[in-house]
Amino acid sequence: MLEVRHLTKIYDDGTVALRDVNFIVPDGEFLVIIGLSGSGKSTLLRCINRLIDPTEGEIIWDGVDLAKLGGDDLRMARRKIGMVFQHFNLVRRSSVITNVLAGRLGYTSSRQSLLGRFSAEDNAKAQHALERLGIEDQAHKRADELSGGQQQRVGVARALMQEPKMILADEPVASLDPVLAHSLMQQLEILNKEDKITILCSLHYLDLVQRYATSVFGLRDGEIVYRGTREEIRAMNDEEFKEIYGQEAERVGGGLQGDLLTANGGGA
Amino acid sequence: MRLSHTPTSSEELKPSLVPPFLAATLSLIIPGLGQILARTIRRGLLLLFSFATITGLLVWRFIETARRDTGLINIVKKGLSLEPALVILSILVIVFYIWNVVDAYAIANRSGSNPAGLLFLVIIIFFMLGWQIGQIDLVALITQADDAGPALTSVLWPWERSIEYPKDIVTTTAQIQIPCTETPPAPSGALEDAPYLLADPTCGTLTEFEGAPGSTVTLTGHNFIPNTRANIWWKDPIGNEFRQRQGGEYINITPDENGAFKIDIVLPYRLVPANIRDVTTIWEIQIRQVASIGDWQFSTELKLAIEKIIETIFIGMMATFFGILLALPVSFFAARNLMSASPITLGIYFITRTILNIIRSIEPLIWAIIFVVIVGLGPFAGIMALTIHSIAALGKLYSESIESIDPGPIEAIQATGANWLQVVVYAVIPQIIPPFVSFTIYRWDINIRMSTIIGFVGGGGIGFLLSQWIRLMDYKAAGIAVWFIAITVAILDFVSAEVRQRFV
Ligand SMILES: Nc1ncnc2c1ncn2[C@@H]1O[C@H](COP(=O)(O)OP(=O)(O)OP(=O)(O)O)[C@@H](O)[C@H]1O
Ligand SMILES: [Mg+2]
Repeated sequence: MLEVRHLTKIYDDGTVALRDVNFIVPDGEFLVIIGLSGSGKSTLLRCINRLIDPTEGEIIWDGVDLAKLGGDDLRMARRKIGMVFQHFNLVRRSSVITNVLAGRLGYTSSRQSLLGRFSAEDNAKAQHALERLGIEDQAHKRADELSGGQQQRVGVARALMQEPKMILADEPVASLDPVLAHSLMQQLEILNKEDKITILCSLHYLDLVQRYATSVFGLRDGEIVYRGTREEIRAMNDEEFKEIYGQEAERVGGGLQGDLLTANGGGA
Repeated sequence: MRLSHTPTSSEELKPSLVPPFLAATLSLIIPGLGQILARTIRRGLLLLFSFATITGLLVWRFIETARRDTGLINIVKKGLSLEPALVILSILVIVFYIWNVVDAYAIANRSGSNPAGLLFLVIIIFFMLGWQIGQIDLVALITQADDAGPALTSVLWPWERSIEYPKDIVTTTAQIQIPCTETPPAPSGALEDAPYLLADPTCGTLTEFEGAPGSTVTLTGHNFIPNTRANIWWKDPIGNEFRQRQGGEYINITPDENGAFKIDIVLPYRLVPANIRDVTTIWEIQIRQVASIGDWQFSTELKLAIEKIIETIFIGMMATFFGILLALPVSFFAARNLMSASPITLGIYFITRTILNIIRSIEPLIWAIIFVVIVGLGPFAGIMALTIHSIAALGKLYSESIESIDPGPIEAIQATGANWLQVVVYAVIPQIIPPFVSFTIYRWDINIRMSTIIGFVGGGGIGFLLSQWIRLMDYKAAGIAVWFIAITVAILDFVSAEVRQRFV
């Protein structure tokens, strides 16, 4: 279980990105975070695995406050939290298999990883992860030779290598076209259902939210302004969805409408 | 900066501070002043500055041309008569001056005045001044091109200088008895295929000090190298050798086309120790001729050039090597993204950057001169000079490529629970290798090129030979050096292109 209490993040330049955020995510949840650009979604996700240090608050995960961890303790905790990024964040010039194996770094000694040596077990795991995501034949290509959809699968495979209990996905499909977006979300759903991995995912498209989320909350200006269950979000129409986005909804909604249509058409 | 005066709305609202006539008068006293007071400040200042600069430069040219003269009138007269360009320039400056007055009037009158002509005039004047100061002499370029012909031909095709025939001095002797006795030595016999020398008679008396001249001996030679000069030498009884002089001059002989010669010489004056002065002694007369022996071989110049081109390549290589070695750590201190964590590290960053910039702004040739002073002439000075410049240049390039790495993969690897070292190995190094390799090759390229000329200031390598040979006007030898440089650079270009293709 993940419990976030009074989480506040103020950047050095004074920007208040998160303002007293409180929520609980039970294990096995597929939580989707929605919100306008700049509402604090990335900041929230990055605070959880401490890529960003929160200014205040607690992030209790399995009884440990992640916000207070440092050094090796933090690294140990991070091993169990996978992360998938909007721009994949692969090491572009390294091979796919190296990128995937990098997911095991937290479990590998410095000396071994310096030499690029991973255990046979890890190699088998990597192979398995690639197979699960359907990119096993790309293993020895350079990461930047892959298509966007394939690259994001590599990103998911890397996270999977950590044998995570939770995956943070920051707009994982924002750089993908609607068809690929659906198929990647399905992969995440499989991980959520089969491997019981808790998923925290920020998304932009309503149909994806409705299709995959088991629980949703909306952020605006660093504050949670909406909390909805699976059923509530399924029943929601575009108007209500826009409401979460606040005054600027018109503009975002317009783009959203178009995206929704193509996504639905492609995903059908 | 805009010289053009387009009356904007604000300028139309505000009329000139001075009436047109006053503006013109002011510009007559100080060019541009009228324009400034007419509220076209930029134009006025520009006129003022260009006028001041132009007159300053013109005065300098006059003084420079009439260097020996004093007094304003004399200098002007001399300058105008020596340099026709100064006449034209003076006229143009006067036109500029008058134009400026007219312009001031027109501006103050708000009747509008197109500045394009004035601007054009200023440009023309500067161009002519540049021509003067640069001592541009296109005529010399054409008329004196012929003089460069032979030198250029030598440089373009120097290869006959690359081989030489070993030379040796062939000495042919005859014996002379001094003074004559009843039994003078028998003349040496005729030889079939070696040069031989006959003296007649084979004895005589030496020239006395400020006294009677010595006896005359007729020398006949055969089988010498035809048409090649030979010298006459003596070896006295105690083994000292000296050259034959006649009337104070050395005498030379040149055998005819059959290798034969005949010459009369007067036995020379020579001070000998007392113990042999009054006894009969045998003196040796020698004909020395320089002869080629054996086959051709590579010339000294070619061998030197090969030696030095190897030295050159290694200077460049060592400098690159040391440069990389030291630039690597330095570049981390000079990368802002790594150093912005705290004010202290940021301070280190600024200091490192500043030092690198200063070092880099000093040319390698200057560094070479500095190091020649410190470590003396030779390749080490060159290596040091290129190394220090490489550190600065590579340090900057490396640090910039560190600064431009994508933070995404670093975050991603951090998020897996990797430690600092693992993040560097898996996310940082893969990103910086390509730019590092590419910059290093680029630097290696520059270093080899630089090492070919660093010898001009004593930094070792082939440049040293080249500068020597040019000074000695040995253009053939210089040509060999130039060819070697060209070949080396061409090969280097090819190699670095190949390496770049493989790694980047
Ligand atoms: N490193 C930073 N320094 C200062 N301000 C930041 C920084 N990163 C983000 N912010 C600010 O914090 C706020 C929240 O940003 P965040 O990236 O979390 O939004 P987001 O919801 O992820 O937006 P998007 O949908 O565009 O990714 C924004 O106002 C942003 O400008
Ligand atoms: Mg974001």
